[in-house]
Amino acid sequence: MAMERIPCTGCSLLCDDVLIGTDGIFIDKIYGACLKGKERFNQPIAENRLTSPMIRKNGKLENVSWDVALEKIKQILANSSRPLLYGFSTSSCEAQLKGIKLAKKINGFIDSNSIICQGKVLNVAKEIGMTLTTLAEVINKTDLIILWGSNAAASIPRLLNKILFSRGKFRMTGREIKTIIIIDPVKTASFGVMQLRDVALHIEHGKDLELIRVLKEECCKKDSVLEKSVAGIDKEELNRLLLNLVGAENGVIFVGQGILRTHSDDNIIKELLELVQLINSRQEKGRMSLALLGGHYNMIGFEQVALSITGKNHSLQFSDNNLIETKDTIINKIEKDDFDCSIIVGTDPISHFPFSLSKNMASKPIICIDNRKSATSDIADVILPSAITGIECEGLAYRFDHVPMQLKKVLDPPSGIPTDEEVLNQIIQKLDVS
Amino acid sequence: MELYKYLPQTNCKKCGKPTCMSFALELLQGKVKISDCTPLIEEVKYKEKYEALKELLGGEGGKEKQLHIEIDEDLCDGCGICVTACPVNARYCPPTLSGKAPDVPHDKHQLFEVKDGKCVLLNLEHCRRLEAGGRERECRVCEIYCPREAIEIIYI
Ligand code: SF4
Ligand code: SF4
Ligand code: SF4
Ligand code: SF4
Repeated sequence: MAMERIPCTGCSLLCDDVLIGTDGIFIDKIYGACLKGKERFNQPIAENRLTSPMIRKNGKLENVSWDVALEKIKQILANSSRPLLYGFSTSSCEAQLKGIKLAKKINGFIDSNSIICQGKVLNVAKEIGMTLTTLAEVINKTDLIILWGSNAAASIPRLLNKILFSRGKFRMTGREIKTIIIIDPVKTASFGVMQLRDVALHIEHGKDLELIRVLKEECCKKDSVLEKSVAGIDKEELNRLLLNLVGAENGVIFVGQGILRTHSDDNIIKELLELVQLINSRQEKGRMSLALLGGHYNMIGFEQVALSITGKNHSLQFSDNNLIETKDTIINKIEKDDFDCSIIVGTDPISHFPFSLSKNMASKPIICIDNRKSATSDIADVILPSAITGIECEGLAYRFDHVPMQLKKVLDPPSGIPTDEEVLNQIIQKLDVS
Repeated sequence: MELYKYLPQTNCKKCGKPTCMSFALELLQGKVKISDCTPLIEEVKYKEKYEALKELLGGEGGKEKQLHIEIDEDLCDGCGICVTACPVNARYCPPTLSGKAPDVPHDKHQLFEVKDGKCVLLNLEHCRRLEAGGRERECRVCEIYCPREAIEIIYI
């Protein structure tokens, strides 16, 4: 059968050039996808696939019918006044919309994975603005790529291929005309693509803010030359960084998890955005922009959906079926033990969160909606299996650069397994019948 | 020019070429063998240069030893950088220009494709190290750029 180009949902790059062939039962040909993407395409037949609703009886998970599982969920929610909803970053925007609807109905607190990822940047961006760019623009125009605190070669395997080695309209020579600067305390696999002209900066752990402050100061001066080392980076390298920053026509800073984790406050992000603004105010020809690298493929989607219907991009608290002001995030809600059950959709907080949080979470009932087994599903009280978005059902997703992509359906889900959207809808309907 | 450094540079013409430089050029293009430069082989003082040159070209003018491009399956993660970066792919597979996966079935000149998340070598005979002339013959783009160091160009 003919090969088809479809978007891969293995990571937030959502490569739309992957070629797959299928015999209708599983995907038997995969061209162009990286190893991570290949695993995603093999997920329909993976061993860890969830295929039946389950509930915990006498400490053990047992297969049950949908009705029994939904009844159990209804019971849990009836006894709950402060439910948490979390995840939604590997669901379509349609399902995310339903998730927020459910949260509103049950007066819950809903948050997506972005809260431990790029959500912080978007919060700050709401206040002071941010220059974004798109993948196509990076391919066509960029001459400077900065990876800050991101090991893209591991987390988004094809990113460097697309941004650094592609030959764009105004960058026909491809790799030769592009400079890459990697700022990271550890020498990651991404360093493997570097050439003489490129700059590798081994910054000291947690010193990013110091570096940003120095750059902010220096990039305003004309012909500035740094005389001493900063944050463990020697002055020659620093001057090369500065030269590139102010000299590039179209630079892009890829913001990774590394820079977000080291400082829990938002200052570092604010100062980074201000640095970019400063550079841009001096730019005559092009501009400097930012790109946010996340893991889950539709994290940005949740921000977009939440923003468009509530005016807030994440951490939504509902009360009396209305959105109310809160400074809480899912993290401190769990820390404070301010919840009494949780609904987890398509993610695995039990293994992502630090132990103290996982422990709190595990002490309350967990309802898990996912297509595969995880540490979270292992301890859940109710499990509802769902179809794999982007393979077994369609939907909208936002790529890392905030460009919406239509995901495709190429296989039928196993019989009787609904999409995330349908599962959430079934819960909403179940709650409606008294 | 790299190869010239390893020749006697005496322009003695024993190889039948007017200068060592022109000999080096033809050596690069595979038109002559290292052994055609008799002083290099016969005179002991050139022994080191001869060995180095053999190493560089992979055997006597590349004639005895054969080019192999080995891809370590365990290291490769299918990033596709080699697919995009290889100049032969760039020429014959237009999608690779913007970093996209080439069409399937592949072009008859295509050197790499990523299948099931791993890189596959297709038509070694079109590699620039065999087909091109001049500096292009020294191509090592795939080996240099692979971030996993999964590609190795060797002569066996
Ligand atoms: S880089 Fe991400 S989107 Fe692209 S093929 Fe790999 S896993 Fe899929
Ligand atoms: S035989 Fe060797 S030394 Fe003499 S001209 Fe040719 S290359 Fe040069
Ligand atoms: S050596 Fe050059 S031409 Fe040959 S496969 Fe590698 S990149 Fe392509
Ligand atoms: S560049 Fe290396 S890791 Fe990437 S696909 Fe090619 S061989 Fe594999």
